[in-house]
Amino acid sequence: MTGLPEVFLRRVGGYGIFFAACVRSTFQHGVRWDRVLEESQKLGVRAFPVLATMAVFVGTNLAIQGHAAFSALGAESLVGMFVALGGVREVCPLLAATMVAAKAGTEMTAQLAVMRTKEQIDALEVMAVDPRAELVTPSLLAIMLVLPALTIISIALALVAATGVAVFQLGLQRGDFVDYMMSNITVFDLAAATLKSVFFGAIIATVSGYFGFYSERGPRGVGQATNQAVVVMCIVCISVNFALTSILYG
Amino acid sequence: MAEPIVRFTGVRKAFGDKVVLEGLDIELPRGQTSVILGPSGTGKSVFLKLLVGLLEPDEGQIEVDGVRVDGATERELFALRKKIGMLFQDGALFDSMSVGDNIAFPLRRHSDLDDDAIDAAVALRLEQVGLPGIEDQMPASLSGGMRKRVSLARAIVMEPDIVLFDEPNSGLDPVTSDEIDALIGRMKEELGISFIVISHDIVGAFAVADRIAMLYNGALVAYGTSDEVLRSQHPFVRRFLARNMDLPDLESP
Ligand SMILES: Nc1ncnc2c1ncn2[C@@H]1O[C@H](COP(=O)(O)OP(=O)(O)OP(=O)(O)O)[C@@H](O)[C@H]1O
Ligand SMILES: [Mg+2]
Repeated sequence: MTGLPEVFLRRVGGYGIFFAACVRSTFQHGVRWDRVLEESQKLGVRAFPVLATMAVFVGTNLAIQGHAAFSALGAESLVGMFVALGGVREVCPLLAATMVAAKAGTEMTAQLAVMRTKEQIDALEVMAVDPRAELVTPSLLAIMLVLPALTIISIALALVAATGVAVFQLGLQRGDFVDYMMSNITVFDLAAATLKSVFFGAIIATVSGYFGFYSERGPRGVGQATNQAVVVMCIVCISVNFALTSILYG
Repeated sequence: MAEPIVRFTGVRKAFGDKVVLEGLDIELPRGQTSVILGPSGTGKSVFLKLLVGLLEPDEGQIEVDGVRVDGATERELFALRKKIGMLFQDGALFDSMSVGDNIAFPLRRHSDLDDDAIDAAVALRLEQVGLPGIEDQMPASLSGGMRKRVSLARAIVMEPDIVLFDEPNSGLDPVTSDEIDALIGRMKEELGISFIVISHDIVGAFAVADRIAMLYNGALVAYGTSDEVLRSQHPFVRRFLARNMDLPDLESP
């Protein structure tokens, strides 16, 4: 019988070892920047359309909810602030992370798990090529580079969409709305959102890498690894988000 | 005998409760072809994976070309593996790369040949395995036997000192199979490569082998030249050979 705590500890330990091995392999075998670039491009191009759509509609709804809450109080100026605080500080970083986890994270886990199953990872090892440097680190760096960029873009899109709804649908004064919104977004906020997204990127990439790299062989192993990776990524990201918000704004 | 290329001493390997190899002692000769025979599931593939350090033995020592494999550091293993080419039982071609890129992969990583020289080497190896001109195809579009031959080409492209083949002939027609056997013979003569070949094809095994080892139930039940193995009185060896070679089966009534 293996109890849940034991499985948990073994997983955490295994993840730690995997993470350390990735860092070590980066120093030992260098970084395949060509692969990083290739992965970044793929990731950016793939995640952008869905993320952009979601960011736009998050912006619209923040504006509507802000309006519903504050106009009754006669504090319509607070709508812009609501959009700024919610969108920039919380929703957009998580939204971008979720999209990258769904697109790039799952793909990375599944791909590694298939390669493990078909002995392609073993084949790399036998060819004296470090499979982490070849397969994991490039995706890891790509995700950590692209996710902050996607986060900033999604923030911009959400703000523009919110402004559109506020002005054309809710009939707010554009100048006032934008002023209030922008005055509540500081450089610190943007830096904090970027910092969050770097953390999320690291979590998504290493967790999906870990579950794929050590998946059990066979089709069941591939499915299992992908499922577990998604669950763990989401839980860890949302917990880290809480911790970071507490530290940065608490 | 010259220093053996591979030496297993008291090697034991189990997965959970299932003991695959137990107290295995074997020495394989340098510059010759050793064929490992045995029924399915006896641990022939495990033997090769132990040899290259993909698996760690539970007990015993493994030496390859004078290097201790068990407990070796990654650096030591990688240095050794640069001298080894391996064909996995299911090919293990990289799905995301074309046939040409698959075969070129070790060259791009470990040699300083330019692109033209690499292309030429790839073309030569593909021709040797009877598949000229398929560089641009993707592994997924190949038949099982073709994939096997492509990964065979990848295993020998570096002209390694030691070549490990996990069932190079399975899934091949008899003519192609003979061509592969002939290729093994030629490369051994011309390049002095030590081949370690796992096989189900007993007739082919006796054709290419300098040494034959037979594994059964986790142990070595016969080892020697083909003549020696043919003369073995071990009941399992008799049975295994009789089914395949029209030899009298001493066990059956
Ligand atoms: N990674 C592993 N984890 C658990 N069990 C394994 C592993 N690899 C091999 N085994 C088990 O070890 C035994 C020997 O496997 P191996 O693949 O070496 O057989 P084989 O002799 O190559 O058979 P075949 O001729 O069918 O290829 C099998 O029972 C297999 O289930
Ligand atoms: Mg096998």
